[in-house]
Amino acid sequence: MQDNTTNIKHNDYPPCKAACPILTDAREYVQLIAERRHEEAFASIRKLNPLPSVCGRICTHPCEAACRRGQVDEPIAIATLKRFACDGSWKDQYRGALPAKPSGHKVAVVGSGPAGMAAAHDLALLGHDVTILEALPILGGMLRVGVPAYRLPKDVLDEEIRAILALGIEAKTGVRLGEDIKLAELFEQGYKAVFLAIGAHKDRKLGIPGEDALAGVVSAVSFLREVNQEQNPKVGDKVAVIGGGNTAVDSARSARRLGANEVHMVYRRTLEEMPAAQQEIEDAVREGVQTSYLTSPLEILGKDGKVTGLKCIKNELGEPDASGRRSPKPVPGSEFSLDVDMVIAAIGQVPDSSFIAEEIEVTDRRKQIIVDGAYTLVTTQPGVFAGGDAVTGPATVVEAISAGKRAAISIDLYLRGEPFPSSESAEAKKPAMLSSSLIDKTRKFPRCGKQGIPINQRLKGFDEVDAVLSEDLATKEALRCLHCYMGAQVDREKCVSCLTCVRVCPLGIPATSKMGEITIDPFACQACGMCALECPVRAIEINLHSRGELAQQVEESAGSNQDGAILGFFDYHGDFGAGDVTSLRENHPSITPLFLFGLRRIDTSHLLTAFECGADGVLLATCRPDADPFPGETDRLKRRVNDARSVLDFLGLDGDRLQVVDMPERGLFDEGQITEVMKTITELGPSPLR
Amino acid sequence: MIIVERKSLEALEEMTKDCGRLLVLGCETCSAMCLAGGRRQVAELASAIRMERKMSQNQDEVIEDAIARQCESEFIDHVKDRVAGCDAVLSLACGAGVQTMAHTFPDVLILPAVDTKFIGSEAERGVWKEMCMACGDCVLGRTAGICPVTRCAKGLLNGACGGASEGKCEVGKERPCAWQEIYHALKRLNMLHYLKEKPQVKNWPVHPGKVVREDLREGEATTGD
Repeated sequence: MQDNTTNIKHNDYPPCKAACPILTDAREYVQLIAERRHEEAFASIRKLNPLPSVCGRICTHPCEAACRRGQVDEPIAIATLKRFACDGSWKDQYRGALPAKPSGHKVAVVGSGPAGMAAAHDLALLGHDVTILEALPILGGMLRVGVPAYRLPKDVLDEEIRAILALGIEAKTGVRLGEDIKLAELFEQGYKAVFLAIGAHKDRKLGIPGEDALAGVVSAVSFLREVNQEQNPKVGDKVAVIGGGNTAVDSARSARRLGANEVHMVYRRTLEEMPAAQQEIEDAVREGVQTSYLTSPLEILGKDGKVTGLKCIKNELGEPDASGRRSPKPVPGSEFSLDVDMVIAAIGQVPDSSFIAEEIEVTDRRKQIIVDGAYTLVTTQPGVFAGGDAVTGPATVVEAISAGKRAAISIDLYLRGEPFPSSESAEAKKPAMLSSSLIDKTRKFPRCGKQGIPINQRLKGFDEVDAVLSEDLATKEALRCLHCYMGAQVDREKCVSCLTCVRVCPLGIPATSKMGEITIDPFACQACGMCALECPVRAIEINLHSRGELAQQVEESAGSNQDGAILGFFDYHGDFGAGDVTSLRENHPSITPLFLFGLRRIDTSHLLTAFECGADGVLLATCRPDADPFPGETDRLKRRVNDARSVLDFLGLDGDRLQVVDMPERGLFDEGQITEVMKTITELGPSPLR
Repeated sequence: MIIVERKSLEALEEMTKDCGRLLVLGCETCSAMCLAGGRRQVAELASAIRMERKMSQNQDEVIEDAIARQCESEFIDHVKDRVAGCDAVLSLACGAGVQTMAHTFPDVLILPAVDTKFIGSEAERGVWKEMCMACGDCVLGRTAGICPVTRCAKGLLNGACGGASEGKCEVGKERPCAWQEIYHALKRLNMLHYLKEKPQVKNWPVHPGKVVREDLREGEATTGD
């Protein structure tokens, strides 16, 4: 049960996990996708994140920025893989943890955005009786009324909310705290704790002439709210969107879809400082949105009460400001006008905390709810907690989910009368850097990122822009993972400093000390497995599919098939899908398949063990060299195969029982080749060791 | 280090076929370091012997283990119960290890799985070269660090024999003439005059050798002559 509400701490995790505000184990699910275990990949994501499909679509994926592969070529497309794991029918198999025994405590969650939903979900699992209060007539918060459907289809959101509510959570829509019910009344009604996750739904004003007087000036939040409630707001022919955040980009792209011919994004700094996600900006430009960087609005021009233009001034960048970004300085005399008939203001949002300001303390300028410590989310009032955009100002969905999860922990501790954990000093560790020689030696593989629908189809409506990856592309992408911290570990007790690891490592990672101590950098190691395999005293263990694990699988598989067992080793790096595995099992039941991250990991003793356990034959299907991250090691495998063959010949078993084939371009095996191999092995008769 | 090489499977089969319950025992210092006698090699060899026995209806069990060094009683102690339960031990240790084992377990047949080749070093992965034959009277200080006793085919101590051609030994065209190498090395070190001094006479040891250090001994020596 505790698994679902993980106590969030940042230790020595792989960079992707450490970078995630909710510590999603991206490495784990990427791995599971590579192993074609998609159902388990989904479970790995879902157990921590109640909104996985949402995150698979709109997460800003800090994991990718931290990904070590990014130092080599491009990061793993982790978010796209999450979407893949969440879009398959296998997710219906997922059975989440059931709520704990009822605690008898009633908790109110105010707001049904990602922070509120995550808190409600975790609180329900902890056994509390949760009621969600939502001011709008529909659930989902900004996910519903802020994010356009072309990025997050409404049915995807519906489905995830349905699953959360199914934990026994009651949701009341159209109830605005402070207006329809006071905070104090909630406690009077028996709620023991309240989580305020009211979001930031109020646009900041531009503060320029013409803003309030003219028709055709709208705030981004209200514009997007109408867009998302399918009220088809009227847009102008030429629209200026002021701002550089994701809300601005969402507004611009939505305006294009609603028929605006010309959309200008007016941003005061440059692309480099723009807070919106890079991918979003690129997509907007592809969809015909024009960008005016280093431009500040001065005045909205109008005639007869309608917008006719936007007077702007060009900027240059000066000294860095408090945010670390260089601040824009107007260039005198550079004023110009944009010919537009609609202006959308998207320069940031603040919480609409006016309704509760008398009951809870908020900051002066940005109206954010004040909490005591970012970790516990305790407000100035006992039993009241707050988190998400309402506390931080507009942030990302995963940060909101993280706040919700932390709030659930704090509320649970509060209700049980236990002390809060000491505040988390989430000091971000500087990411370890790979040496340039290691980067040179690491094989590059192109990233299979988002697959978009064609531009001309996009602008016809609000259909989802990104398509889900096909299974072959998803597995190929997952196989690019460099397996941070899953590599070799030396057992100092056993190591005899023979230097074999130093000599066989294709990346030159093992280092020696003057006195013979061997160290293998766990961050640099890519878990190819060569050292663990070649070590004569077995002092090295590999975390990714360990040698012992493989030996056990060989024993079990070779001994499992009573009649005519052929053990087939296949490489995950081949281009095949879960369906190919199923058809192998159906069409060739005598082949028991075993899958590896590289056949180079097979030792002579693994091959001999297979025969010792009664296998009639062993088939090694090597992947194509262009898909193999360590193609140079295939030669070593072939020599080990020859060793094993000579032992078989010596025993009179015949070395031909051991066959090596190439995996085809597509699929697990070439039917003709397999038939040939089966014929050879069958002709040799059953193994006398069976 | 001591370089060993595993015997052929044929030879090992012949040696172990009638020996009863067998322990295949690795030695994880020199033998392991020259990739012939560690756990990994034990696993391969034991697997082959087990299969061979199964095919010839031999029911006797083959078990496997390894210790740090078979030439030290403290390490041997760790497997004494396993050894006691066997009729024979197939040792992947050098001659010193095999003999120490045999001395420790007088009632168990200790069989060598490897041939002890020489004291040498790894020239490249998979290639080991003999560097020292433990003559007991080291002359390397006068021969620029190149051992004529080991590396000259004739073991000459006072210069080349005259049979070398183009720097290669008359015994085989593949082997360099050690004395020619010594000459060039001494020249590089400005020490050619060593060759002009009075001839070296070697103090050949009597086998078996024995080193006694009175400063380290505690009471009488514990192992016999």
